[in-house]
Amino acid sequence: MKRDQRFRAGLLSSLNPASYNVERWSYTIHRITGVIMVGYLMAHIFETFQLGGGSAAWANTMGALHSLGPLEMIGLWIVAGSALYHGGNGIRLVLNEAFGILMGKPILPVYPYSPTSLGRNQKIAVWAITAVVLALWVWAGVYLLAGLGVI
Amino acid sequence: MAQRTKERSGTLMKESWNMVVTYVTAALLVFVLTFHLLLHSPLAGKAFEDTLSFGYATGNLVYYQVIFGVLLFTAVIHGFNGLRVMAVEWLHPTRLAWLLNVLVIALMAFFIAVGTVTLIVVG
Repeated sequence: MKRDQRFRAGLLSSLNPASYNVERWSYTIHRITGVIMVGYLMAHIFETFQLGGGSAAWANTMGALHSLGPLEMIGLWIVAGSALYHGGNGIRLVLNEAFGILMGKPILPVYPYSPTSLGRNQKIAVWAITAVVLALWVWAGVYLLAGLGVI
Repeated sequence: MAQRTKERSGTLMKESWNMVVTYVTAALLVFVLTFHLLLHSPLAGKAFEDTLSFGYATGNLVYYQVIFGVLLFTAVIHGFNGLRVMAVEWLHPTRLAWLLNVLVIALMAFFIAVGTVTLIVVG
């Protein structure tokens, strides 16, 4: 029972990056965007399945989605942002974890402890990815929302 | 002793292979998902609304069937394996770990089957 409570605390605290460093923020956002994309993936597979039913079935599906109004495009914008961030941060993680690129050299744990994994190169990578993703996300938003006269 | 060593290395290998699958599918996804998004971007030379038309959508599925097949498999495997990893880290299932694995594999198989049927029927 005690064990379960401990795990529950871990679940909540793992979703709260406040007062942690930028790497923890990227970890949390990576997970949230991943869950958003899996949710969209499931819906998208069913949506695309309607293509097999012919143009009438596809028109019905699109009609149902368009009936959501601006929410449809706002939802797609959120998914686009999720894909951009998850992909960009994922490239950093693969370089980091699989090839050791951008990682600092191991040092003795001397107080005050500072994670060598979060060195200068890592910080630059995290902020560069965030800047590029934000720029592309704004561009995607303008394309999706302005193109349909939403904004 | 030998048996214990074997068990340990077996467990480690399982996780190592799991991470290899995660990294390989992630690397493939960067390319195929970018391609998929570009087909719906201004670079496609169409308004976004037009990229959702029946003709354009089916044409892409037929013409780029292999790429969409790779996208389907990698996205489903990477996505559901990611959910499994999160579930393991948060819930720490011990006795029911096998059930979680079975559930995840069943979900993967189901969505891959639905997507594959779409690719075959449309193609």
